[in-house]
Amino acid sequence: MSKPIIQFDDVSFSYAGTDSFALQSVSLEIREGEYVAILGLNGAGKTTLGLCVNGIVPTMLGGNLTGKVTVGGLDVSEYPVRELAKLVGIVFDNPEFQMSQMSAAEEVALGLEHAGVPHEAMHEIVSDSLAMVGLAGFETRSPLGLSGGQQQRLAIAAVLAMKPRILIMDEPTSNLDPIGKQEVFDMAAKLNGEQGMTVIVIEHEVEVMARYADRVIVMDGGRVVMNGTPQEIFSRVDELAALKLRVPEAVALAKQLEARGAWKGDFPVRTETAVDRVNAMLKA
Amino acid sequence: MADEHFNAADADAPAILVEQAHYTYANGNVVALSGVDLRVEKGEIIGIIGQNGSGKTTLTKLFNGLLKPSSGTVVINGVNTATQSVQQMAQHIGYVFQNPNHQLFARTVDDELRFGPRNIGMSEDEIDQRVAEAVEFFGLHSVIDEHPYRVSFPIRKLVGIASIVTMRPSIIIFDEPSTGQDHDTTKVINNLMSGLREQGTTVVCVSHDMPLLADVVERVIVMKDTKIIADASPRDVFADAALMQRTNLMAPQVTEIALQTTVPIGGTIALTPAELADDIANRLKPRAKTGS
Amino acid sequence: MSISNPLPLALVPGDSFIHNVSPGPKMILVVGYVILAFSTQNIIILYSMAAIAFIFAIWAGILKTFLKGLLILLPIGSSLLALQILAPAVEKPWTAAAELGPVTLYIDGLYYGFVLLGRIFASLAIALVMLMTTHPSDMFTTFTKLRVPYTLNFMQAMTLQLIPVFQREVGIILSAQKSRGMKGSGFSAVLPSFIPVFVGAIERVQQLSISLESRGFGSTGHKTSYRKVKGKWSDTAIAVCSIVIMATLAVMSITRGSWNLSDQITFSANFVLGLFLLVAGTFLTIVTVTIAFMFRK
Repeated sequence: MSKPIIQFDDVSFSYAGTDSFALQSVSLEIREGEYVAILGLNGAGKTTLGLCVNGIVPTMLGGNLTGKVTVGGLDVSEYPVRELAKLVGIVFDNPEFQMSQMSAAEEVALGLEHAGVPHEAMHEIVSDSLAMVGLAGFETRSPLGLSGGQQQRLAIAAVLAMKPRILIMDEPTSNLDPIGKQEVFDMAAKLNGEQGMTVIVIEHEVEVMARYADRVIVMDGGRVVMNGTPQEIFSRVDELAALKLRVPEAVALAKQLEARGAWKGDFPVRTETAVDRVNAMLKA
Repeated sequence: MADEHFNAADADAPAILVEQAHYTYANGNVVALSGVDLRVEKGEIIGIIGQNGSGKTTLTKLFNGLLKPSSGTVVINGVNTATQSVQQMAQHIGYVFQNPNHQLFARTVDDELRFGPRNIGMSEDEIDQRVAEAVEFFGLHSVIDEHPYRVSFPIRKLVGIASIVTMRPSIIIFDEPSTGQDHDTTKVINNLMSGLREQGTTVVCVSHDMPLLADVVERVIVMKDTKIIADASPRDVFADAALMQRTNLMAPQVTEIALQTTVPIGGTIALTPAELADDIANRLKPRAKTGS
Repeated sequence: MSISNPLPLALVPGDSFIHNVSPGPKMILVVGYVILAFSTQNIIILYSMAAIAFIFAIWAGILKTFLKGLLILLPIGSSLLALQILAPAVEKPWTAAAELGPVTLYIDGLYYGFVLLGRIFASLAIALVMLMTTHPSDMFTTFTKLRVPYTLNFMQAMTLQLIPVFQREVGIILSAQKSRGMKGSGFSAVLPSFIPVFVGAIERVQQLSISLESRGFGSTGHKTSYRKVKGKWSDTAIAVCSIVIMATLAVMSITRGSWNLSDQITFSANFVLGLFLLVAGTFLTIVTVTIAFMFRK
């Protein structure tokens, strides 16, 4: 088993000017190369958790943090965000809000400029990063003229150029159409599978997460309330319902069949598993 | 002139009648709609799906007169939009924008809910009643005196929807009502749709959210490259694998499962887990009997 | 969806000689223009400067957009000249040119009016030429080289970029309000619509700043640049020539009182009357059209 790259040790946090806790006694370990999905209602603390990993919380968005967040062996409260940026890349829900440059190439190069990467080395990194997200040849295009899915992939390329070991995506596809969603998730799966990049996705779409994630973390009221494989988590249908969270429709189907006395055993979380099980039942 | 058209609004006219509508954006030669025909009867609940750029938003903007067709006609409740201002069309048709931040600006949620009804000249008594109903339905009691921007995004989205619902238009357009929503607020939207159905409101729902559409709409319009390429029930649309592939859309997971299990052996194209579970359970029962 | 930029502030792509001059000499030219324009009271120099900017614009093939940008001069210029005719900014006594009902038109301020207009005209014209022929990133790189603080420079570059985005946002917001039956009468009705614009702008800026910080924006170390601005000998020549010519003209203008042509140039009463009617008419038309446009249905 690979070594832990992110550790939360009894972390609580409240934003400056509020007395409610955005995070409450969170203890968590994420290992290098894992693909982790974070589920929860809006306001459950998912975004804050993500922002802790690259130190935006508490360095940039201030507040009261207790406990310890360690990323790649570094205590995040002791390092500036710009140092952690070499370790952690983060993209947000609205890709357009992350664009600031005249061309896709410059958007990708921005982080490199900040890091002082020599001019001569930049072109190769920029074109490699664009190629990685399937935007090769888009160098001179204006970021604001791209489709939503392309913009989001460009935002990802811009953080990939910094060669991070961890990629955090906070509802990366909520503004995208189905093809845009697929583009982004396929790409993240590729980075995770081929390069062993640690991927953390905050996402509402449970079917998608059941498909891609190795592990699902469920948050509620600033706490981590469930933590396990998609199979384990999505099988706890009633607990999730109590948290007002959905389960994949494949699981809902099995649950309905169970109520009708027609299902025994594990719930399927993926389409293929459900199809195989149902077909086996029908043939029997 | 405009008044004559208003008088033309009659009970028998369809809610939405689009004939040979073309639309080309003025600032270039970008064609957004080419030759669209569509008839929506009063009280129908339809969904419009398609990739970004397929013409969905342009089409819905033609409905409430935000855009006028470059050629062809758009007639709403018997009123030709070409002769009406957007403000006049607001009497007939409400438009819920995707991003509530584009829509909300009053000082309190209460003012926000009253803004539209006041604009269309509703009496204060009636406004009070509609606002009270909306507050009840959307569960806005605790935020009624808050600034719309002080409430969380999902609640803000509900406020945006409620601010149109209080106008009680006979037609409501929803642009992506469930984006950025969690399961909890999506449920409220589902309930709203069935409430509107009971009231006989015509609903147009532009969305990528297939489970939502599977739940609430009776008819799905599929758009691709500025044209309507399919117009059928959600069942028929989701079952058409070639169509779904062509438009890069994905049927709800349970429909996918049905298509690979019960449908090949004569089952219905299920849209909800309960529906498919019934179908499967029924198929297992007789065999269980013969087996015993 | 792509965004077109209807504002005549951005780069008009091209490959002309003017486009290829480095941002450095262009900036020197602009700064020189402004200094000279505000040192001299000689209208021949001022309007020649404007004419030269016009020649550059034609040379660069940007005349159409350039003229659009200059349109802003119409309200400024017309109100400025009208004001100088009504209330000259020179010492009394004033010479009346005509009585127009309750108002008296004077001749004395007109020369100064033309000087003021010439200053704005020349400076704006050359600034537009620079903006429309220089890639913003090159400008950015040059500013950074000149040690303009990075954050400040970045903000300036971003502002130019965001203008079309905000224009689009305003359009969406206004259509959302109209869809709710908003009656467009009076500023009080339109103004609240801008709350969403500001809120949107703040959210955008917050999100962007987090995104930039996550890409090492705050780093204090040595920064490098993706684009390289190459210096050419022609750039140096242009810079040197501009400095020499403009410095000479500025010094001569300040030291030689006779270069102020206000005594040599006089305007006839009829000219003043005709000009006043023209500029006042232009100004009122612009105001009327603007208001009508803002409140059109």
